Amino acid sequence: MNKVFYKSMLALVLLALLASACAPVASPTAEPAQEQPTAAVAAPTDKPAEPTAAPTEPPAPPEIEVVDLELWAGGRVSEAGPPPDDWVAYDIIREQAKVNLKLVLLPSTQADQDTKINAAAASNSLPDVFMVSRDVLYKLVQAGLVAQVDDLLPMMPTRTAGHYFDADRNKLATFDGAMYGLPDPGALPQTDSLVIRQDWLDKLGLTAPTNLDEFMEVAKAFTFNDPDGNGAQDTYGFCAFIDGSGLAQAGLGPRFDFIYGAYGVAGVWNLSDSVSLNARSEDYMKATEFIKNLNDEKVIDPDWPTLKKDEFRARWKQGKCGIMIENFAALANKSNYKDFDENFPDGQWVAMDAVAGPDGEASMGTVMKTARIYAVSQKAIDEGKGEAIARFLEWTASDEGYFLLGFGVEGENYVKDSNGYVVTEGIAPEMAWTSKEMQPLTQLANMVYIFTDVEMQARYVAYKTKNGRDMDPKAYYAEFLTKPFTQATGAGVINPPSNAADFVRFYSENIVQFVLGQKPLTAEAWAEYIAGLDSLGAAQLEADAKETLLQTGFLK
Amino acid sequence: MATKARIIKRGDDTIFQILVNTFLVLLLIAVLIPLWKVLIMSVTPLNFLDVKAYGLWLDPWKWSFEAYKQLLSHPSFTRAASNSGIITIGGVIVNMLLTVPFAYALSVEKLPGRKFFITMVMIPFLFNAGLIPVYLVVNKLGLIDSWWAVILPGGINIYNLLVMKSFFEGLPEELKEAARLDGANEIQVLWTVILPLSKPILLTIGLFYAVAHWNEFFNAILYLNDAKLQPLTILLRNILLAANMNEYVEYDAFSSASVQSIKSASVFLTMLPMVAIYPWIQKYFTKGTLLGGVKS
Repeated sequence: MNKVFYKSMLALVLLALLASACAPVASPTAEPAQEQPTAAVAAPTDKPAEPTAAPTEPPAPPEIEVVDLELWAGGRVSEAGPPPDDWVAYDIIREQAKVNLKLVLLPSTQADQDTKINAAAASNSLPDVFMVSRDVLYKLVQAGLVAQVDDLLPMMPTRTAGHYFDADRNKLATFDGAMYGLPDPGALPQTDSLVIRQDWLDKLGLTAPTNLDEFMEVAKAFTFNDPDGNGAQDTYGFCAFIDGSGLAQAGLGPRFDFIYGAYGVAGVWNLSDSVSLNARSEDYMKATEFIKNLNDEKVIDPDWPTLKKDEFRARWKQGKCGIMIENFAALANKSNYKDFDENFPDGQWVAMDAVAGPDGEASMGTVMKTARIYAVSQKAIDEGKGEAIARFLEWTASDEGYFLLGFGVEGENYVKDSNGYVVTEGIAPEMAWTSKEMQPLTQLANMVYIFTDVEMQARYVAYKTKNGRDMDPKAYYAEFLTKPFTQATGAGVINPPSNAADFVRFYSENIVQFVLGQKPLTAEAWAEYIAGLDSLGAAQLEADAKETLLQTGFLK
Repeated sequence: MATKARIIKRGDDTIFQILVNTFLVLLLIAVLIPLWKVLIMSVTPLNFLDVKAYGLWLDPWKWSFEAYKQLLSHPSFTRAASNSGIITIGGVIVNMLLTVPFAYALSVEKLPGRKFFITMVMIPFLFNAGLIPVYLVVNKLGLIDSWWAVILPGGINIYNLLVMKSFFEGLPEELKEAARLDGANEIQVLWTVILPLSKPILLTIGLFYAVAHWNEFFNAILYLNDAKLQPLTILLRNILLAANMNEYVEYDAFSSASVQSIKSASVFLTMLPMVAIYPWIQKYFTKGTLLGGVKS
């Protein structure tokens, strides 16, 4: 009896599972698509008819067919899900842009995104519009799988004016003189800058350092003079970690770049006419020597070679750090600052000037214009979807599209204050556009954000700290924007060599070994290091880089 | 003399056993330390000023389960967990339905064309088709955005198939013959004679398949465009990356637990089902692999 029962149950479960697995996945737009023709006819009646010469009946507005578009985009919040099937934006996009949108959120890492897109490309099943890295785009262009987008730009004037106006950024998606991608603004520039604990300076009677010598002195005082007054030597003058990856951020990365900037060699590349690696400069070695001194004097958190970003952030939130390079939002947004505030209500970080080097030069590091590139597949153009793509993108740049994709539904997820800024006063916390429940509704926000004042006000909200001090992330950013940075957008178009991983590893590991004293930092050793880079093809890389910069117009 | 030699031998055995056991204990500690660290980090409260955030010890009265509460209440987590459950259970059922009959058929020596079938099985075992051809097949079959896409391509694992075939071959031929003499066909032989004797191998191979499906990541990235179908591993990856990506945003998704705790809790919750299942199957595990791996 039991056996029969178990067998029957097993068979039932099996059938149920197979049935559920066989069932087609519900498309968020599949069902409403049946209603599209009605919407398509009704919508144009809202627009005023064009005046006609003949006193005849006004011509019927051309019926625009609703077109299916598949979009692969990066979600704004990696751990949040996609918009729900009944997302109001799907209906509005269908009505306004005549597009039946199928949205796919790409994996969260660049490597996974590249793999997915490469696999789709290899099977000629790229979506109509997709976000793509420049390196992969370059390969797709060579394979003829993506379309030129120059012709689309006039069809979406608002979006072009707001998103694709920057000639330098457009070069990131330009190959052989033609644009093969739509380069949306990537990240805000100059977001990461030096900050210092003002309360520690006050306690020790010091002022913020302005040059490298003062930097060392303040760092020593922060390390050895018990700036937090807890009686323990548990603080460090300077905290950093090896940040960044790839050729453009080889070496110790942007957290140490202000020191190289003080010697006039911020970043990997010297992008002047010569186009060479900064490592060839004697100043680069001197800057590395200064970092070695910081390490030897034990004024830098000794875990810097192995720290990860979140571990680094845990350190400053634990009150271990006196000076650091940090992102303004990572430092000052309430969601990030609250841990530090909880621990140190009287602690205060202030923006610091870039420290000057021996020749008076100063730079916080490099600044590169970045882009989220959206490509259009050649298949989509061949299927006649170009206009629909332009219609959709133009709609995203309209007021309706901008606010809906960026902040949700007005009155439900946000309201506008008297200045037109997006605020959440009067909105239930779980309905506010910033709440975790509503995160899926703004997953496409990065497609519409262009760093307007409205965005900045909404995204980086001022608040009171635990002890009532005013805290405004935007104020930090405004300060950061006044600091000197070294322009290096051209580095973004330099194609990595075929042995990029080996090259970058050799480049970076040797610098770390010099700083840690595992290799003597002498002129001879440095020459050997440069010879090692040359043996890995540095000279050829420089020649190729110069050619690319000339081709893309970054170098005249 | 012989007694003395026995005593020395026994002494050597004891020393050997002590060394082996010491090594195994050290190995166990090396495995447990990271797990313990993950557990401690997952229960570290938001305000971690007076505890070392990355230490191994935290007073139990300071433990905070806020990260677990946050995760379990997150809609993405419960959905992804149930997706992983469906993929694992459904996948194991499909795997066993395909692997068991195939392994049994190959274990029957008088199967016509047996050598040919075994050769055909060995070819993909030795030469992998690669990513793109498999993607093309999955795409052409219209499996994209369905759980079949992550279940079917791994429907039969050749290694598991061969282990199971060896196990079946090791069962006494007389039992099968007796059943056949009683009029049983091959399906009845498999169902009534073979399977009841094959609990160890079924559970062992089932566990192999279950772990593989629970850890499903790459195929899900490739084939499941609809985020609502994606398994826990992808969400875990997203959460692990969130700390680095969310610095530019204002979201306060996990407001009452630190990012480190959330990450650790998600790691712990994800591995928990497999860790919990393993002890129940362990007693069959060694037996299953041993019997399957040795052909009498």
